[in-house]
Amino acid sequence: MELTPPPVRRLPLDPAPGRGDADGHRPGAPLDGARRRRAPSSGFATDRMQVEDVSIAYGRKLAVDRVSLPIRQGEVLALIGPSGCGKTTLLRSLNRLTELTSTASFKGSITLDGADITRLEPTALRRRVTMVFQQPNPFPMSVFDNIAYVLREQAARRPKRAALNRRVREVLAHAGLLDEVEHDLRHPALRLSGGQQQRLCIARALAADPEVLLLDEPCSALDPQSTQVIEDLIVKLREQVAVVIVTHNLQQAYRIADYVAFMYLGELVEYGSATQVFGAPREQRTREYVSGAFG
Amino acid sequence: MDATPPSRLFALRGSDQRAELMLGALVFGVLAVVAAMLVFVFQEAWPSFSHNGLHWFGSGGSVDRQIEAIFTSGDLKRRPVYTFHAWPLLWSTLLITGLAVLIAFVSSLFVAVFIVEFAPDWMRAVLEPVVRLLASVPSVIYGLLGVLVVVPFIGNHLISEHSKASVAYIVSLSGYSLLAAVVILTVMIAPIMIAVFVNGLRAVPRSWLEGSLALGINEWRTFWKIGVRTARPVLVAGTVLGVARALGEAIMLAMVSGSVGFAPNPGDGLIFFVEPSRPLAATILQNAEELASPPMRHTLFAIAAVLLFSAAMLSFTGWVVKQPMKRYGVRA
Repeated sequence: MELTPPPVRRLPLDPAPGRGDADGHRPGAPLDGARRRRAPSSGFATDRMQVEDVSIAYGRKLAVDRVSLPIRQGEVLALIGPSGCGKTTLLRSLNRLTELTSTASFKGSITLDGADITRLEPTALRRRVTMVFQQPNPFPMSVFDNIAYVLREQAARRPKRAALNRRVREVLAHAGLLDEVEHDLRHPALRLSGGQQQRLCIARALAADPEVLLLDEPCSALDPQSTQVIEDLIVKLREQVAVVIVTHNLQQAYRIADYVAFMYLGELVEYGSATQVFGAPREQRTREYVSGAFG
Repeated sequence: MDATPPSRLFALRGSDQRAELMLGALVFGVLAVVAAMLVFVFQEAWPSFSHNGLHWFGSGGSVDRQIEAIFTSGDLKRRPVYTFHAWPLLWSTLLITGLAVLIAFVSSLFVAVFIVEFAPDWMRAVLEPVVRLLASVPSVIYGLLGVLVVVPFIGNHLISEHSKASVAYIVSLSGYSLLAAVVILTVMIAPIMIAVFVNGLRAVPRSWLEGSLALGINEWRTFWKIGVRTARPVLVAGTVLGVARALGEAIMLAMVSGSVGFAPNPGDGLIFFVEPSRPLAATILQNAEELASPPMRHTLFAIAAVLLFSAAMLSFTGWVVKQPMKRYGVRA
């Protein structure tokens, strides 16, 4: 085992997520080991959401401080930064999940296709902007019912059994899970492996044809193989939905993101294309973070 | 460490060993007492069952007159009489318990959902202690409330002279009734069920609810389809507790049910609900002074045996019902 060069400066570290990085990256080592998995994006990105001067506080504690950025379809946007920098809070505010916390207060504006999201019905907004969480949280039902639940609840009238069957299979295939569960769709979802559970959660989030998909560290509880499957899936999805992913894992951001937003202590420090942020960061803090000097 | 046997983390020594022995003895003692009680009850009950056979559970004649004959035969040291057809008592127990549990289940479920998910904090802070208090009120107090408030109300406002006259040839309507019993029993068992349901609903992982909300499913549907569904085993457990209390309730029901060995007849229309009756447990209570008469004692123990058996069956049914719910990973 080779020695890690002494760090330049140590700021409080993120706790290492469970089993370590997807490809065993040592903090401090350069990013060269990480291969960019994605093909270049088509370049036909369209603006879907616009975050404008958004501040979010829990009680008196400011979690997100005057952040502005665009969210585009056709590109993967990665929010990176050390723990507690507000990236998850920002992500949750995109479909108004922050409102479930009674102490949270919100300033600024977020628009979806030009419409202020606070003017939309929360349920309608959350159908268009769905979310996948850090810990896989499939419902305590069968694999089939996990998807069918969403389809049934979101349909205006109860869908026919055959249509439901077809759609569930489509969605599972879309999330790359169908081959593994096809023999037994009645299998309890909670007995799938962690990676399968997370793909089921992604499938569930895709079930209703959302326009924006929010992913909150979707791979942090998973092993490298499952991580790779999910990363491939995310890259594949980017043409159909706008994808925003929060990640601790710089390699992951490097592998899949087209655009990267680096947040630190609630502020948006730097926003730019992945090649620019990782290759030629403009800000000193970004340079230190992506070179592994801290967090 | 090497000396430690693999099956035990620590070798039991001294006080550990003594504690294990004592706990074991205690458990064994409890089991022995339960077994002795069962044997005793069924042994005492046997003469009544063996004389009547399956007719014990059937109907025929006036059950009150049968009880009187059983008592007198023993009291006067004549040839013991055992003829007993308990159907009116069984029917009354079934009706009162069934209706009360049904109403209590539905209302408790809604109240519990409200407390856990929708009530503002201050209301939750008031409701929960109140529910716990209600769950611990002695049943004789509910009985008094029944006699002083519910029964007179039913007697004065819900029963017309005409309806009294229509069944006067067989039973007199006074307000002591099925309705009074069901209403008060519901009020009695609902707090217990609410308390259990609240705990169960609160134990549903937030991440499941949040996962559903994040997909644009509204709060009510989310809580109904994910929260309540997940808590089903707890709902079963709470219902079993409620049924058990309802089955065993004697004092309050003796006070308000009318205490007549009469089987309310659904064919009477709405009058059915204001007809008096008397459930099993109340029958034991009311005749408890007559245990000195041997046939009477055997008969009362037979009733007790039926109640014991029902309680055991109830627990077993609860267990059976919970089994399929475990398949998808919900816990009791």
